[in-house]
Amino acid sequence: MAKYVGARQKRVEDPRLITGNARYLEDVQLPGMLHAAVLRSPYAHARIDSIDTSAASRLPGVVAVFTGQDFADLNPLPCAWQAGGVTNNANTPRVLEIDKVTHTGMGIAVVVAEDRYAAEDALAHIEVAYSVLPTVVDAKKATEAGAPQLHENAPDNICMTWECGDQDGTDRALGASDVVIREHLTNQRLIPTAMEPRGAIGSYDPGTEEYTVWMTSQAPHVMRLLMTAFVMGIPETKMRCLSPQVGGAFGSKIFLYPEYPMVAVLAQKLGRPVKWTESRQENYIATTHGRDHQTDFEVGALRDGTITALKVTTYANLGGTLSTIAPGIPTSLYGSMLSGTYKIPHLHCQVYGVYTNTAMVDAYRGAGRPEATFVIERAVDLVARELNLDPAEVRRKNFIQPEDFPYEPASNLLNGLAYDSGEYEKALERALEQVGYREFRQEQQEARQQGRYLGIGLSSYVEICGVAPSKWVGLPGEGWGAGLWESANVRVHLTGKTVVTTGSQSHGQGLETTMAQVVADELGIPIEDIEVKHSDTMSTPFGYGTYGSRSAAVGTIALYNSVQRIKEKARKLGAHMLEASEEDVVYQDGNVFVKGSPEQAKTIQEIAGAAAVAYDLPAGMEPFLDDTAYYDPPNCTYPFGTHICIVEVDTDTGRVEIKRYLSVDDCGPVINPLIADGQVQGGITQGIAQALYEFAAYDDSGQLLTASMMDYAIPKAEHLPHFENSHTVTPSPVNPMGIKGIGEAGTIASAPAVVNAVVDALSPFGIRDINMPLTPQAVWRAIQEAGR
Amino acid sequence: MKVEGSHTIPAPRERVWELLNDPDVLARCTPGVSKMEAEREGFYRATLQLSIGPVKGRFEGHMEVTDSREPEAMTLTIEGSGAPGGVRAVGHITLEQEGEQTVVSYHGQPQISGRLAAVGARLLSGVAKKLAGQFFNRLSEES
Repeated sequence: MAKYVGARQKRVEDPRLITGNARYLEDVQLPGMLHAAVLRSPYAHARIDSIDTSAASRLPGVVAVFTGQDFADLNPLPCAWQAGGVTNNANTPRVLEIDKVTHTGMGIAVVVAEDRYAAEDALAHIEVAYSVLPTVVDAKKATEAGAPQLHENAPDNICMTWECGDQDGTDRALGASDVVIREHLTNQRLIPTAMEPRGAIGSYDPGTEEYTVWMTSQAPHVMRLLMTAFVMGIPETKMRCLSPQVGGAFGSKIFLYPEYPMVAVLAQKLGRPVKWTESRQENYIATTHGRDHQTDFEVGALRDGTITALKVTTYANLGGTLSTIAPGIPTSLYGSMLSGTYKIPHLHCQVYGVYTNTAMVDAYRGAGRPEATFVIERAVDLVARELNLDPAEVRRKNFIQPEDFPYEPASNLLNGLAYDSGEYEKALERALEQVGYREFRQEQQEARQQGRYLGIGLSSYVEICGVAPSKWVGLPGEGWGAGLWESANVRVHLTGKTVVTTGSQSHGQGLETTMAQVVADELGIPIEDIEVKHSDTMSTPFGYGTYGSRSAAVGTIALYNSVQRIKEKARKLGAHMLEASEEDVVYQDGNVFVKGSPEQAKTIQEIAGAAAVAYDLPAGMEPFLDDTAYYDPPNCTYPFGTHICIVEVDTDTGRVEIKRYLSVDDCGPVINPLIADGQVQGGITQGIAQALYEFAAYDDSGQLLTASMMDYAIPKAEHLPHFENSHTVTPSPVNPMGIKGIGEAGTIASAPAVVNAVVDALSPFGIRDINMPLTPQAVWRAIQEAGR
Repeated sequence: MKVEGSHTIPAPRERVWELLNDPDVLARCTPGVSKMEAEREGFYRATLQLSIGPVKGRFEGHMEVTDSREPEAMTLTIEGSGAPGGVRAVGHITLEQEGEQTVVSYHGQPQISGRLAAVGARLLSGVAKKLAGQFFNRLSEES
């Protein structure tokens, strides 16, 4: 009987977080530790003619200064996801750049000093001669004739081309449609802005020749692999990677960054540990950004609202060099998901991945699916508008129905993947009912009579998460060339206290709580008896880390499977202790007993003790209750739902006020509603932020103009509405717990809900679209241009 | 970014032109100058200590008069950099005599980089106006 799963269990991590006792990277102090500061290029595109470090080297407190030449024997960082044949023209950063930079913020020298102040101050004394080159920051302009060329191996700055679906069929279907609507959408560049900046500490033991690297990473095992086998050329067994407490990431801490191998090598060169942590400004200019798509689409429909075809062309800005999985985001996670929750018989998407003189772009919460959802959910609203139909009705008419699953969208998910399960209409109806849709339309009419502009926006999304089946991502040419299974180890110690280790990683998700809830219920022990440990390559089984909403749908399933095997062994040992036949005993709620005689039971604690002391085990049984499971999911999972936003637009000032925000999400069974609500609310916040506030702006010379929190508009609590969150529950057939994942859903659904609401509010002005962010200026200007 | 403005100097145009081409006068009038020397005619090297909002630091650079039409107009090419970032600009200056006075107008589109651009950009046109004001006030005193 489930006691913990489904309960609003308070997070076990929180006491240490709110009492200041959590240990973040910046809290780690090693004896003799030195501090590094990186000199970063102020130019977005330049040749490095010379670097003179002599003055900086002589300053008090400075131990050493290094340039790219000192790391020339290391390989450039690898790019793991090779969609679109990127292998031919991948350009990735080096630990420090040697002769050329392609965006501001690339590292070109490092000062190592006794303290951080000396290191930072010394940067000003390094003399660099640059030859500044022409720049391009816009992905579409970068592909045009005459644009500055960033890399010799990428003509017209095209890093990759990728397509999905059927071009001829889509063109024919568009030709046969009653209406075809064309629109250009910008999905602006965002900066993830985790609360804790990135950092790393390297340490080296000359006796064992082993490196230890602490880092702010979502995937320490993957970092170890990439640093050792790909960059440094040493056995991965010679390095231990640890992530201490990580203070948020949103994808930006999945990737390998130059500073991580750098601190390892510096520690080895200098014989002392070396710490580097970025400033907020470095975080803005030298950590990855997200989104940055320019998209043209054509959607075809019949008069009754049936969508016939969708044709999409997207220019995805990937930045000056490629980050670890950059090419995978605007392809498999974007183009393949453009069909959304709808049966669109013909779909074609062409993607150009483009180099520009801007920071690297890679996964940011939702990674590709927010961009896809934005296109399809805006397209559906435009169809409704064109045909003068209710947007809810157009959604109903085109939804994939429960009996259609497994459903393969025309966008082609690759390798036989298909949407797993869904009741899209149920989630929509629930949301419409909760919001009082019909009443709102009445209220909207009345408000317009009074010169007030209310609007309602729907967003019915489906996403792909629980990444990923290795047969999907492992395929060379399309995937990562690596599996994406996950691991768990369960160890029931002599007293019955249990330690769980996972290859997943928690950086705010509360995994130490949710994973313990699952183990407590399955094993039938109190949650206080369980410790969940993660993020240390030495003491956890190899795993791929946390991103793509995979830690519940993949990591926790590995754990679940491991507990089942522990239970089976405990049942056999219990039978032996009860002197009963194995077939006659059952494991239930932490007890093993003969069916029908629960009063004569052996507890899991007794059995764990017997397994550890081991003087009387059944023939052939190994001592100890210890099991490691590796779970490779047969499919991804596909959470879905409907979000509804109600806004009021002040047409005099252009200010948008969110009056209500309501979500109905379906992530299958919810392990912990408290944590799921937190995930949804945080996700919605980031989507609202994209819709209304955030925009990473570059000037034409590649200078980031929003490189501080004074200029980059992170919303505060006062900018956000009260969230009304609820769920429907449609289990996934993919895994035994039916779990789908909830980490990114809020971000994926919310931006189009807000934009659809604002456009709905302004429909009396004939406004069809406004580019995000919908700042007062953008909205006011759209109203003026529409000519009241 | 655009920097432009005009100031009236209480002196005839020829006198103002003379002042604008005198390295010693320039060194005295330019705010924050700690060192300035004419390497050759019309080519100056300078070290400046400036603070622009949260961005403070030492800048080294040079200024070259690339086009000179005495006494009515000149074009300057400026390049400077320091730890807080860099500036590259082409500036145009015109001198018009109005009675006994001269109206000096300037305009240019500086390209800035580094922390100066990232953190100081919003403040820069205001600071540039202020520094120009200080320069021309001192120039007026010299006249």
